[in-house]
Amino acid sequence: MTAIAHFVAITCYVGAAALAATPFARPVGAPVRGVVALLAAGVIAHAAGLLEYANRVGQLPLTGLGPSLSFAGLVLAATLLVVELAARDVSLTLIAAPLAALPTTCANLIGLVPGLEPAGARGTWLFAHIALSFVGIGAFATAAAAGCMYLVERRELKSRRFGAIFRFFPPLATLDRVNHVAAIAGWLGLTLGVVLAVTYSLAYRELSVLKVVWAMGAWLAVSGIALGRVVGGWQARRAAIYSSVSFAAVVVLYVAFRFAESNGGGRFL
Amino acid sequence: MAVIVLGVSHHGAPLDVRERLAFRSVEVLPTLARLRDQAGAREGVLLSTCNRTELYLVDGSGDAVREGWALLSERLGAEASAYGYVRRDREAAAHLFRVASGMDSLVVGEAQIHGQVRDAWEASRAASGTILNRLFQSALLVGGRVRSETTLGHGALSVSTAAVQLAKKIFGGLAGRRAMVLGAGEMAELALASLQQEGVRAAIVANRTYERATELAAHYGASAVHYDEAWAALADVDLLLCSTAAPRPVVSVERVRAAVDARGDRPLCILDIAVPRDVDPAVAALENVFLYDIDDLRAVVSANLERRTSALPAAEAVITAEVEKFWQWVAGLAAVPVLTQFRDEMNRVRERELLAALRRLPDLTPEQRAAVEYFSLSLMNKFLHEPTVRLRAAAANGRGLGVVDAARYLFALDDKAPTSSEPAEPQPTAAEDR
Repeated sequence: MTAIAHFVAITCYVGAAALAATPFARPVGAPVRGVVALLAAGVIAHAAGLLEYANRVGQLPLTGLGPSLSFAGLVLAATLLVVELAARDVSLTLIAAPLAALPTTCANLIGLVPGLEPAGARGTWLFAHIALSFVGIGAFATAAAAGCMYLVERRELKSRRFGAIFRFFPPLATLDRVNHVAAIAGWLGLTLGVVLAVTYSLAYRELSVLKVVWAMGAWLAVSGIALGRVVGGWQARRAAIYSSVSFAAVVVLYVAFRFAESNGGGRFL
Repeated sequence: MAVIVLGVSHHGAPLDVRERLAFRSVEVLPTLARLRDQAGAREGVLLSTCNRTELYLVDGSGDAVREGWALLSERLGAEASAYGYVRRDREAAAHLFRVASGMDSLVVGEAQIHGQVRDAWEASRAASGTILNRLFQSALLVGGRVRSETTLGHGALSVSTAAVQLAKKIFGGLAGRRAMVLGAGEMAELALASLQQEGVRAAIVANRTYERATELAAHYGASAVHYDEAWAALADVDLLLCSTAAPRPVVSVERVRAAVDARGDRPLCILDIAVPRDVDPAVAALENVFLYDIDDLRAVVSANLERRTSALPAAEAVITAEVEKFWQWVAGLAAVPVLTQFRDEMNRVRERELLAALRRLPDLTPEQRAAVEYFSLSLMNKFLHEPTVRLRAAAANGRGLGVVDAARYLFALDDKAPTSSEPAEPQPTAAEDR
């Protein structure tokens, strides 16, 4: 059931991205309702799959690599759905839906195997940290996706090309606003997630240097954008470049740490 | 029965002809009443816009086209059919669907016609009936589908609206944005009107024609500024529209750079619609400055036009499917009275023969009489089941009218046609009841 639900969710995410891309192939408008419906169906199937998993194994899908990746995919897809319903624009699907499909696919390939779960208040503490961190990373990814689209569209506008991107991407101001809101949400989520992690480490004397380095890297990156936007008055291109590059760096750092840790026989996140 | 449209449009009739054939809304019902009385038109809708005058009729007697042209010719004072066209049945439905979608408009894809079709139908409601109501409902639905499913109505088609489209691509909504307009000529006024419609607050800058700028500013609720005072305010505006008659660029890189530096990361959109250009092209290289000249705006317009034209096949596919759907409904409607008549006729034959048979069998008990009657009824239903199903199917799949006519001829139903103009629902056969 979980595997089938994941398969349905991945199909829906990829289908939504393909549907959002139809204006690039044919002179038709993006089928907004179709894209949103497909995305919503994917989110529902995904959530149902993870619920079934949680029922079966008796713990939330927040520990173990597979379940965590799947949960990250769900958070990203749900964030995308909320943004699209609020902005009434589906062009963000082009980037964010494949971003949601990727961890979900990886989760299915790796297998949904639960990690060791601490019980009681300690478990709740850990879950809260993981859930908030996922929300923060999901919002950060949304900010990066909006930033990428901003840069692509800006390039088209500066070079006076009035093709498919000019027609179907949302206005620069909309992408800038999505970047702004997502960066702030990402900062809030990651800050709370990191605070819970630090207090957890201190309370239970559990510490992984690589995890701390990566978490602080991600937090500093998203804090940089949030501070730049709120205090430094960053807008437009500067915020878009910073969010895209810093998110890419966070992803590269994750892959590098995971690789290094697996070579040493351990498991990084 | 036939669905007919006849009329004139911008395709074949010059403006003076269209002007004389324009109808006011108070004239619609009397005109349609005349067509009903004189031409036997069972239903009618009159669509009159600045680009077309069309009569949509359901012809009962076959005289509607002649009478329709006579009416239009009388109004024109000349033979109106020389400028016009007639479409029947499927073609008439397809024509209205194209009209409602903006495909037949002077500016392809314009949205205004959708409302005009709705208004025409509303104004003619007292004269329209089952078929035209369904036709116009379908047309409005098709118009909506074409607009939402294709790019036929997307994009601006004039330089001033293209300017707005470009500015919106940068700022999203323009309400509350600040603009500065250099120059007070005709092009500047057109662009100013488009910007003002979007809620932009504008200041008009002019030197040589300051009086005209004051006049324009008063008309559009803007303010007028002298040229020398303008540059200090450039840092506060989002949109600079240039349309002066200056022989060389008046907006230099230095002037814009000073403003851009003071603006932080906020973008500045400069629309230079002057020829020769008012803005030094090197300004485009500045960070957060989006500079467009008249050629760029024309490129937007032609890209939009090209895209609208390229959307025509997709729109045509929507229309073909919807015409088929509508015509299946019409054909089904035509089959209903024939089926009813066919069944009534067969029942009459059955009753006559049953009576004769019972007369020849006087010794039957009531149970036996009932059994014989049931047998006759059952036999008739069995015989009628297949023709009924096939007539209905043929009516629904578009071959209907021919098959219905054949049935009418084979069973001599024309001679016994019911007097009611409204089609009755057919009775289900016993086999279908099961």
